[in-house]
Amino acid sequence: MTCEDYRPWISAYVDDELAGEDRKRLEAHLGECASCRRELEELIQFKESLAMVQFNEPTDAQLDRYWSGVYNRLERGVGWILFSLGAILLLCWGAFLVLEDLLTDGDVPLAMKAGIVLLVVGVVVLLVSIARERLSVRKQDKYSQEVDR
Amino acid sequence: MEPADDDLIRQCKAGDTEAFGRLVRRYAGRATQVALGLVGDHADAMDVSQEAFVRAWRHIQKFRGESNFFTWYTSILRNVALTWLRRRLAHADVDLMDASAVPDGGIDPAVLAERSEQAERLWEAVLRLPTRHREMIVLSHFEQLSYREIAQVLEIPVGTVMSRLHAARKALRGRFTGDPS
Repeated sequence: MTCEDYRPWISAYVDDELAGEDRKRLEAHLGECASCRRELEELIQFKESLAMVQFNEPTDAQLDRYWSGVYNRLERGVGWILFSLGAILLLCWGAFLVLEDLLTDGDVPLAMKAGIVLLVVGVVVLLVSIARERLSVRKQDKYSQEVDR
Repeated sequence: MEPADDDLIRQCKAGDTEAFGRLVRRYAGRATQVALGLVGDHADAMDVSQEAFVRAWRHIQKFRGESNFFTWYTSILRNVALTWLRRRLAHADVDLMDASAVPDGGIDPAVLAERSEQAERLWEAVLRLPTRHREMIVLSHFEQLSYREIAQVLEIPVGTVMSRLHAARKALRGRFTGDPS
């Protein structure tokens, strides 16, 4: 193994994540390689420098506002689902009544009835196609999946 | 005494939003930190981390306790943040994982507890890393997750965590010291 091969091990060693034979091999290498010992020291120093980056702890008032934001989203989510289901139901029912009236009306010309039927079929095909595409993208998109663990 | 995560999760699964509120308050600080590291802006970090909590609530039945709650939540947060970044970069010809998160307005040092010049320079250097390096630094250094936990969040082998973290540290040291080697 070259020094370059040992570098990821040095990183893991600093984090106390290197165990067993690998740890023994690295320690033996560190005993005879000044360059890797220097790398180890620099990495320890760098890790200490990074520890200086500390974030502000949220206050109780901030935590209250935060939870309130999450809760509002949860509530709105339920509202949107109910609203969407209701709207879809009403639209479908309304469209059915209008179409039934038009298609059974003897005064409406046959050409217009055919046009309406084609229009409705076209809208249904488009909606199904969009829904299928969305589903397919969602299945392939690794960032859209929720974690099942 | 504060109830354990497992007890709160059991109550969440039964539909108790108060229990979920306690979990959210427990992890809101860390959640915002991770989001901040990924998206770079404090307001966006709040937005993204809250959205991830909403998704965690919706999918709480899928949580089987094979990892701890925060690790599970962080994997959801990462997905939400990466989707957010992808939307922001939708018209730019860049790889999502190579993208930096620094917003146009620059860094927001108000989020740092210590306002030393070195801390601000380091944080700025972190935000200018590509996503694949930045997430390693955030999860390992700022959230102190173990390699195993990082592997669970990123869904990669522990050996890959080791090599990616090494590469991320090398890149960050290069940016911080101005030495690309």
